[in-house]
Amino acid sequence: MPGRTMVQATRNLATTAILASALLAAPAALAVPSFARQTGMACEACHTVFPELTHFGRVFKANGYVLSNLKKVRDVSGKKEELLELSQMPPLSVAAQFSYTTMKKAVPDLSDAGAPGVAQQGTIGFPQQFSFFYAGEVAPHFGAMAQLTYDSAAGTIGIDNTDLRFADEMLLPDSGTLTYGLSLNNNPTVQDLWNSTPAWGFPYTASNAAVTPLAVAAISGPYAQDVAGLTGYLYWNESLYAEVGGYRSAQQGVTNALTGAAGPLDGTASNVLTGINPYWRLAYEHDWDRHTLEVGVYGLDFKVYPGGTPSAPSPLLGPTNRFNDVAEDVQYQFIGEEHLFSVLGTHIHESMSLDASFATGASANPSDTLTTTEMAATYYYRRRIGGTVQYFSTTGSTDTALYPATAPGAPGVVTSANGSPDTRGWITELNYLPWLNVKVTLQYTWYSKFNGAGNNYDGVGRNASDNDTLFVVLWFAY
Amino acid sequence: MRSTQGSRRDLSVSRWPRTTVLVAGAAVLVSAGFGCRADEPDAAATAHVQKVAVTVCGICHGPRGDSTQPKFPRLAGQNANYLVAQLKGFRAQTRGDPDAISYMWGMASQLDDATIGALAAYYAAQKPPPPGRGGDALVARGREIYGQGVPAQGVPACGSCHGANARGQADFPRLAGQHAQYVLKQLASFQSSMRDIAVMHGVAQNLHLDDMQAVAAYLEAQP
Repeated sequence: MPGRTMVQATRNLATTAILASALLAAPAALAVPSFARQTGMACEACHTVFPELTHFGRVFKANGYVLSNLKKVRDVSGKKEELLELSQMPPLSVAAQFSYTTMKKAVPDLSDAGAPGVAQQGTIGFPQQFSFFYAGEVAPHFGAMAQLTYDSAAGTIGIDNTDLRFADEMLLPDSGTLTYGLSLNNNPTVQDLWNSTPAWGFPYTASNAAVTPLAVAAISGPYAQDVAGLTGYLYWNESLYAEVGGYRSAQQGVTNALTGAAGPLDGTASNVLTGINPYWRLAYEHDWDRHTLEVGVYGLDFKVYPGGTPSAPSPLLGPTNRFNDVAEDVQYQFIGEEHLFSVLGTHIHESMSLDASFATGASANPSDTLTTTEMAATYYYRRRIGGTVQYFSTTGSTDTALYPATAPGAPGVVTSANGSPDTRGWITELNYLPWLNVKVTLQYTWYSKFNGAGNNYDGVGRNASDNDTLFVVLWFAY
Repeated sequence: MRSTQGSRRDLSVSRWPRTTVLVAGAAVLVSAGFGCRADEPDAAATAHVQKVAVTVCGICHGPRGDSTQPKFPRLAGQNANYLVAQLKGFRAQTRGDPDAISYMWGMASQLDDATIGALAAYYAAQKPPPPGRGGDALVARGREIYGQGVPAQGVPACGSCHGANARGQADFPRLAGQHAQYVLKQLASFQSSMRDIAVMHGVAQNLHLDDMQAVAAYLEAQP
């Protein structure tokens, strides 16, 4: 769905704001104790503290989530062919987040047009999110991490991050290894092995009841769960990783206007990929002593029909918008007995060729750029108490249609007076884990710039710091 | 569907059909028809165990037992009897130091005796990695403790059981070249009886931390 909701922004500002906040502000949670049950190993084998993966966790994932130390139900043919191998325990898990969110300054109450009324301060998410997982081996060489989530913003249950894998491994001379596999997934980078890429990057959870900036790169979540991708990868000696594949639209909750069936997509759907669009990834990890260091590059190239909505359809024809993302990432981990430290960083550069949007006036420029930088440092003591500090920055072309100003009489907040997407700030987070599958998080987000300015960014008096957000969340997984 | 002698990440060699799966480590050949002598392990079973060792155990312990992470012990050249006893201890959940509980209780839970024997044989046959380097003073103190004990504290010489060159003997493990951090953690676990070995508890109970650090540094530096 909304992918680049801001490309359609001029159609319906209110809808855009709702979509942006619902879809961009709630990274999905991953903490899956069914993996621990399957392997018989404690969380610490695969995670520093969930969801950040250790080297072992990365190898487990690359090998298709299939390492199992459970008893099996088997079937074999008379020709000694194995027909069935089922774990005696299904790899099911649940995860839940209960949250409290408050912003520094209340947002205007839309129902109180023209008056100074404001929405209630303080939002309880009970739950903010509740997820069911199938996470583990399906059959030899086949595994899955599939997530079904109730999201309080939508009030519905829907498919969340899903990664189905085939993988195998061969021995190379001199005790080398080559893992090769396929991932069928619904979110670019959800299949990645490092936490420096968007899908499993910091923040691992965020409020779904806060104001979020207008601009986000295509690879950073707008297409999550609305695309399906098949990628193939090679992982050499658990250090050099190469992956390539393609994504195609696989939108949820849309129906074909003519048949009423779940497809094919037509002009009543928005942000539809033109066909199969490429994704690529290259990374190298060096492990020594208690340290690991990874550097990599990744990207995608999405061509998108803006499409329309059931009430305002627009055929999937003619010019397209193209989002070409090229990103670098780095991850460092120190995993000691008592002290754990990690640094995650990524820099995403997006080139937009907005032929379709420019033709309709939905963008002011035929092409734009957007650059996102994030750098986070995390420390934990004995995996029980820790915290993270992250710096984030988004800069990009000024585009008064893509990042529109507040319409006369409108309340602002999710607009940009100067048409700039520039946003900058810090996230600090404190975590306490009474048990390794229970996390209490106190998170504060500071904005020094929001949608183009620090002061009066929306032209009707709201400052970037008014969107500073306190977020408290109890997160458990079982 | 695939052959039962496949390459999956199952740890056991003694999967169906049991009559044709061979005990590599114990060098017991059950099945005829492969042209093997009775004292040779079956090639397929050996290959399977090698693959398990490299691709599963090797994630932490290094592909040839040459772990580079001090959290995980080096297994190359380790005494096979000792490895068998440890793997059985993990399986029976009788070895209770923290990393044994977190990692090895699960990993060893489904291993059968044949696989345990084969894995032990695999690691025993690997060439020990080059020794690490410790500080000279610490190593010298460690050498003294290793060779002579700490008589004033009632600590016996380590070498009397583990061998003068720390390469192990009989059921006693090889310690030469082991990660110092791992040795230190084990000594602490013996001292607290989390790893409950009466003999080693007796040895370690009066060892001071600096003594442990010295002997661990000495051992890491031994070939």
